[in-house]
Amino acid sequence: MARPSQWRSSLRAVQKSSAVTYRAPRVTGPRLERVAVVQIRRQSTASPASSSPSSVSPSEVSHFSRLASSWWDPHGPSRLLHLMNPLRHDFIQSCLNSSSSAVSAVANHSGSYSYLDVGCGGGIFASSAARLPSTSTVTAIDPTELVIQVAKSHQRSDPALSAPKLRYLNCAIEDLPVPSADQDKVDVLTLFEVLEHIDSPSSFLELAIPHLKPGGWIIGSTISRSLTAFLTTKLIAEAPVVGVVPAGTHDWNKYINPSELRQYFETRAPGSWGVFHTQGVIYLPVLGWQLVNNSEEWGNYFFGIQKLA
Amino acid sequence: MKVSPSRQQELLLLSSILRASRPLCARCTHSRSRQSASPLSPPAQRSFSILNRPPPNYPGHVPLTRVERLGLAVGSAITSLTNPYRHDMIAALGEATAQPFFITRLRNRMLSDPTGRRILRDRPRITSKTMSLEKLRRLPEDTVGRTYAAWLDREGVTPDTRDPVRYIDDEEEAYVMQRYRECHDFYHAVTGLPVWVEGEVGLKAFEFANTGLPMTGLSLAAIVRLKPQERQRMFEIFLPWAFANGWRSKDLINVYWEEELETNVAELRNRLGIEQPPDLRAIRRKLKEERRAAKAAREAALMNSTTAAPAPAQSTA
Amino acid sequence: MATAARLPLPLPATTSRAAICAQCRKATLNPFKRRRFASSISSAPEIYDVVTVGGGPAGLALLAALKSSPITSHLKTALIETQDLGRLRQWSSPDDQFSNRASSLTPSSVSFLEKTGAWRHVSQSRVQAYDEMQVWDAANDATLQFDWAADSQRHNAPPQTVATMTENTNLTRGLLERITELGADSALFSSTNVSSITMGKDDANADGDGLNLSMWPVLGLESKSQSQSQSAGSDVSTTIAARLLVGADGFNSPVRRFAGIESHGWDYHRHGVVATLTVQSVPDTRHGGSYSDGDGGFDLFSDEPLPNRATAYQRFLPQLGGPIAILPLPNNRASLVWSTTPQHATYLKSLSPLGQVSMINAALRLSQTDLNYMFTLPASAPDTLDSELRWRLQHTSPPPVARQPPIVTGVQEGSLASFPLRFRHATTLVSPRVALIGDAAHTVHPLAGQGLNLGLADAESLASTIAYAVTHGMDLGDPMVLERYGSDRFGKGLLMAGGVDALNWLYQLGSGGDGVLASFLGRARRLGMKVVDGGLVPGLKGLVMKQAG
Repeated sequence: MARPSQWRSSLRAVQKSSAVTYRAPRVTGPRLERVAVVQIRRQSTASPASSSPSSVSPSEVSHFSRLASSWWDPHGPSRLLHLMNPLRHDFIQSCLNSSSSAVSAVANHSGSYSYLDVGCGGGIFASSAARLPSTSTVTAIDPTELVIQVAKSHQRSDPALSAPKLRYLNCAIEDLPVPSADQDKVDVLTLFEVLEHIDSPSSFLELAIPHLKPGGWIIGSTISRSLTAFLTTKLIAEAPVVGVVPAGTHDWNKYINPSELRQYFETRAPGSWGVFHTQGVIYLPVLGWQLVNNSEEWGNYFFGIQKLA
Repeated sequence: MKVSPSRQQELLLLSSILRASRPLCARCTHSRSRQSASPLSPPAQRSFSILNRPPPNYPGHVPLTRVERLGLAVGSAITSLTNPYRHDMIAALGEATAQPFFITRLRNRMLSDPTGRRILRDRPRITSKTMSLEKLRRLPEDTVGRTYAAWLDREGVTPDTRDPVRYIDDEEEAYVMQRYRECHDFYHAVTGLPVWVEGEVGLKAFEFANTGLPMTGLSLAAIVRLKPQERQRMFEIFLPWAFANGWRSKDLINVYWEEELETNVAELRNRLGIEQPPDLRAIRRKLKEERRAAKAAREAALMNSTTAAPAPAQSTA
Repeated sequence: MATAARLPLPLPATTSRAAICAQCRKATLNPFKRRRFASSISSAPEIYDVVTVGGGPAGLALLAALKSSPITSHLKTALIETQDLGRLRQWSSPDDQFSNRASSLTPSSVSFLEKTGAWRHVSQSRVQAYDEMQVWDAANDATLQFDWAADSQRHNAPPQTVATMTENTNLTRGLLERITELGADSALFSSTNVSSITMGKDDANADGDGLNLSMWPVLGLESKSQSQSQSAGSDVSTTIAARLLVGADGFNSPVRRFAGIESHGWDYHRHGVVATLTVQSVPDTRHGGSYSDGDGGFDLFSDEPLPNRATAYQRFLPQLGGPIAILPLPNNRASLVWSTTPQHATYLKSLSPLGQVSMINAALRLSQTDLNYMFTLPASAPDTLDSELRWRLQHTSPPPVARQPPIVTGVQEGSLASFPLRFRHATTLVSPRVALIGDAAHTVHPLAGQGLNLGLADAESLASTIAYAVTHGMDLGDPMVLERYGSDRFGKGLLMAGGVDALNWLYQLGSGGDGVLASFLGRARRLGMKVVDGGLVPGLKGLVMKQAG
């Protein structure tokens, strides 16, 4: 359990970074900074008693709370997430296979991987990762209490998911104590369908990266901010009758382009990073999710990057 | 199951039978291997020209090409209609039209009946040699044999006047056709229809309903050659009788006539389910007498025309 | 249902009312209750990943496939079978005797068995691969010949197998030996009945923890003790919970019933008569230019005639209720599968072996009229049948096939039997945590020899679905996983079953008689056969063969 002093120092770091960006706007990645400004303004209007700038957006929390009960219905609103999940594993496998050998020897001496799934929701990915024979442990966190309850309830229905292989925590990333030793950090940090729900992605990433050990991977999925994405994910997917996800699930303004993410890792993320992998995926009715190369600019995509040091 | 040596021999015989060469049954004298298309295949599939006719399947067999068959059918139909005494043309018409479906159906009906099968196995022929008319004449009155013999005598024909089958390809079907032809006189005997055009037509209608051979149906075209009164009698009395009975009764082709020679005719009719037809001879005789009576009355009236009022002739036709 | 023979928990020494809770008090009064109480606190059901009910070829193939793949071999599996699997593994038979239940395995079934390493355990001296199938119709003279000769000639390849005849017991034994070789004997629950299938319990405790098996099927198993002399109370029973319950338990599948899946279909009102025959092949009767339409499939001008290992024969007999098929086995043996009316089946069973031989030979060669007649002859006079056969053979043209069917010389003693023919298909193959394979999912008419192959294909598909689920961290019983299996196999199974049914219906048309309609339908079928066989539609026959294989 991390000590309060540690928390405060990390929070101060966040404050500092956001303050810095406010003072000197950068040319690159305007998107990531602009929202940070908004965040700070919000901060100032918040009650003085709340000391932590939260990565959590209250509107998102309330939205997902409403979806909690239907999370595990295979024909419910989360069906698309269920359908996408196997492809996530394929992508993770391809990333791990392309690990830089020097670094991965350090990270993966035991041959099995530990995961930290941030924004796990009802645990679709987290539970599937826990079942893999090559997984040692999975820690899954989510700020929405109701979905964590759903996840825990689901955990009970499968003996393969019992502790200590899988544990769910109802907290935000900033509340999770960072391990001091590298070997206690995780091998894979997963952020599936998370970034597009975060108000300040750069600060969020800066909170998450310390949990990853050198040689480990950040792997996630999000949506590009393009006209096509607007059409497909807002206009069609959230349409009243024919839609496949509930209305209000996505805010197009929060979508992130792969180039922006790549910029972030190349220039601003702490530590040195490997090649930024992406893979576009498109959902087609009847056929399901299909891997489509070079479609990451205008729709859903997976991304993965290895922390070299 | 172990195969005994004698069984082995039988099996060798069986396998020799099953080889492509198809020997004919014991009764037939020919037995040769085929070198070209099996003549047993339906004519539609055979493709031979008149230059390389396949060998015959039985004595007297004449294999025909499709064109030849068509020509035969048309020619014999015309001739039969114009000259009904050309019995060879009638026979040819029968053979040309019976293949491939109708004669097969008739044969199958024989094969489905135990007596019919026996007939096909034994292959009895009706000739003056096999049917001794003297013996038949000595049988009791009202037996099938006696009636048959009386019939032949009255009409002045013998069993040998039937044409041999020539144009049917399958050897067994040829026998069926032959048998049908040879039994025709027995049909006359059992139904009592005379051998004039009227009687023949009536019998043909009966046979059509009973055997289904097209030629019997085509023969009904001969009705056009009947006198109007005869035609009227045909439609009112005989045709209804023929169709009703032919349809209902048992197959006449399955009757083993050689065994039924001493059976009572009425009993046989009963067994077969045939009602006795109106006696055409009696009808015509009565008509003739009436006509004669009417004519005599008219002449008498003419002679007495000056003296007394002629009594109106009562016709009881 | 017999309860576990467990000792009750020892009661506390003091029996004062204060020390014993109400439940324990009740338990002491009622020994029956005591046992149940005891069993509930000491036994949660043992949890298995894949539980297969049914030890037929489909169930055993699934187990072998799971155990032979490194991806799925770690799964905890169980296979439950009422028969003694140990005895099935010991099965052996003399070289000249063959079981009357034998199936034609398609090349894809054989390749599946090879992949899982089971094929080499199937006794190869008892299987017969055949390269050719001659099919013809008694109502007309059309024929159809299935072989890969055209392909072989084109690619200069050795002749390809159309199918491989294998006795079902030989296949089962091979699968069991492979399972033993993989060290998976512990997964076999032999001589065990499934006494109940229920949903599990939710063991939620006060903290909200505890295993929730309320969506898991829980099976009550009862194993028959070895020595039958002991009383019924000594039956050992256990309960196991299944992450995925696979129903491979045949036509009346209890698993299917538990899952609430309905099965629709109809009875054909026909029986399949099977037997093992001794045959004698007819010497090659192909002669030059005999079949003038040239659709016999024999190429007179090829440099080397293709070596043909064996041929299967099938003759459609619409008026007698269905086709007769002679499928080759080694050592001059063959398997008979004759679909016919129940009355005919009874007649055949009442004949002496000599009579049966005559009838089978007749069914392959004589006209339907003759056959119908022969069925009316008294069964006690086999010589009559024999003489009828000989006489009629003299007046019947030989079957219009390129290769003549063999002469049947004997029937293996006691091998002639019959079973009713039915068509059934489950409305769906999957249900949460339940999947159906084999006859539990579909039962088909034997005329295309597809029944066993469908079951093996189901097993292969389910095994690969399970492997995909394991590598992608999915819960095996999850509907998202089972969806993949269902959508893969449901359509194909239904298509095959429906196709076989349609073929049967087509060949039963005009069965009423000899009339014009029957003849017309016979000609229509003949045209159809010519279209498929004669290459009017290029590639059609190859497509049909690929689909069936």
